[in-house]
Amino acid sequence: MKRRLPGLRWLGLPPLAGLTLLVLLPVLWMLSTSFQASEKMFQLAMDWIPRSWHPENYPNALHRAPFPLFFFNSIVVSLVVMAGNVVFCTLAGYGLAKFRFPGDRFALLAILSTLMLPLEVTLVPTFLIVHSLGWLNTYQGIFAPLLVDAFGIFLMRQFVLGVPTDYLEAARIDGAGEVRILWRIVLPQCKPALAVLALFAYRDSWDQFLWPLAVVSRDEYRTYPLGLVRFAEDYGNPQTEQMAVAVMATVPVFVLFLLLQRLLKRGFGLTGLKG
Amino acid sequence: MRLRLWGVAFVLPALLFFAFFKYGPMGWAFWLSFTSYDMLSPPRFVGIDNFASLAADPVFVQSLQNTLGYIVASTLLITLAALLLALAVSTPVPGARACMSAIFLTNVMPIIAVCLVWRFLLHPHGLVNQLLAPFGAGRIDWLTSDTTAMPAIVMVTVWRFAPYFMVVFVAALAAIPAEYYEAAAIDGARGLRRFRSITLPLILPQLFFVVVVAALLSARLFLMPYIVTGGGPGGATRVLSMLIYETGFSYLKMGRAAAISVVLFAIVLALTLAQMKLFMRDEEA
Repeated sequence: MKRRLPGLRWLGLPPLAGLTLLVLLPVLWMLSTSFQASEKMFQLAMDWIPRSWHPENYPNALHRAPFPLFFFNSIVVSLVVMAGNVVFCTLAGYGLAKFRFPGDRFALLAILSTLMLPLEVTLVPTFLIVHSLGWLNTYQGIFAPLLVDAFGIFLMRQFVLGVPTDYLEAARIDGAGEVRILWRIVLPQCKPALAVLALFAYRDSWDQFLWPLAVVSRDEYRTYPLGLVRFAEDYGNPQTEQMAVAVMATVPVFVLFLLLQRLLKRGFGLTGLKG
Repeated sequence: MRLRLWGVAFVLPALLFFAFFKYGPMGWAFWLSFTSYDMLSPPRFVGIDNFASLAADPVFVQSLQNTLGYIVASTLLITLAALLLALAVSTPVPGARACMSAIFLTNVMPIIAVCLVWRFLLHPHGLVNQLLAPFGAGRIDWLTSDTTAMPAIVMVTVWRFAPYFMVVFVAALAAIPAEYYEAAAIDGARGLRRFRSITLPLILPQLFFVVVVAALLSARLFLMPYIVTGGGPGGATRVLSMLIYETGFSYLKMGRAAAISVVLFAIVLALTLAQMKLFMRDEEA
């Protein structure tokens, strides 16, 4: 093997850094705009670093509409969705990976097929169900249809398949109960997959728009995307403050991502894992 | 026997959930699609009237075409962009991993934030036109012109979702043993040839995954056209999910909305089956 000069590797850095910067421009624009003076939109030459900083855009935006409440609602819903997915997807993924029972293949197929039935497709009847349960304008109305996702089950199944069955059988011979085996042997080995599952469940719920739009009509239960769209539609609200809210909406997912980063690095390969 | 019961017990909650919130509603949507229902009086059976009137409705036909075009364009471009980004950050350049993490940030941004940001960027006086100006592009009305509105929405979609699939490809590329490339180098294969005969066959399962998931994702997308263009101009970016919402919740025509849902489901089903057939050599999940 010929080895290239090590210095040549640095030649790739400028184009790659340039590409990264280009991709990130909208993110930087959002950050920069959120600190600009409100009259300075659409100037011909943008000051990427604001000439004068206006951090007051943030508190101003929070005061102009009930955003603290909207964010609180989104956090409540997303945490419940995250918990639901972690619990039920883990149980189902483990059951499908390590147990044989009549109809197990059919169960897997039935679960994966629900990927073809997103809420956008089942919107009308799901709304009618939630309506008949009397759950319009409630938290459970928003989170109930999001509690389990087939993708999460598939992710957990693929990961648990890699846990040696011998471990489980050794524990059974030692007389450990099934719940104990799941808790003490399977789960500790699944941390990377659980991190990916938790992050994606939270983010997907945090992004939900159409469903809350359908079931919420009162401010008390509005989630932040609904509030933000309304805020953006009011002409009186400066774009700088819209961007301040957009930044605040990005932060929770970003923090979650940072917290789980170490685990995610090992877990990410799985999201596109083959059988 | 006891173990079988445990297996069933673990899987059952998820199955019950899907029966109640996925299969039940879909079955109900099928039934509703043959009725006229406004939530005030009980559903009235009308046969295939909903479908017949949809077929004759130019707004529906336009939304159907928009949806199909949007799915095809977004899926192809997301896959292509994700693969190119993955190849770029998989080079042994110092700092390539940091670039990957940075690019992934587009995926951390909430879709609603993405939509609002891009609505400003694509404004006639926005950043996109400012950046294009040195290349001789004049003022482009991205969001208010028939020809550019849909491409603009596709671009925003690709920007938001390609970095996620990039990570999938990066993991796949990292799993290819270095010896394969070394053997290929000895045989004199490099560049595109090396990519076609080694890289591509080995990442085929992930390619399949990305194409399927990206297509499912774009089939359901609602927020981007809803916020960025509002479905306009003149319905040029109205997609079926928007039409379902308008028909059901603005006009309270639940039966008709259910009929549109059935069409959207048929598209998703056909796409998935076609892709499974296309990638048949890849064994089942």
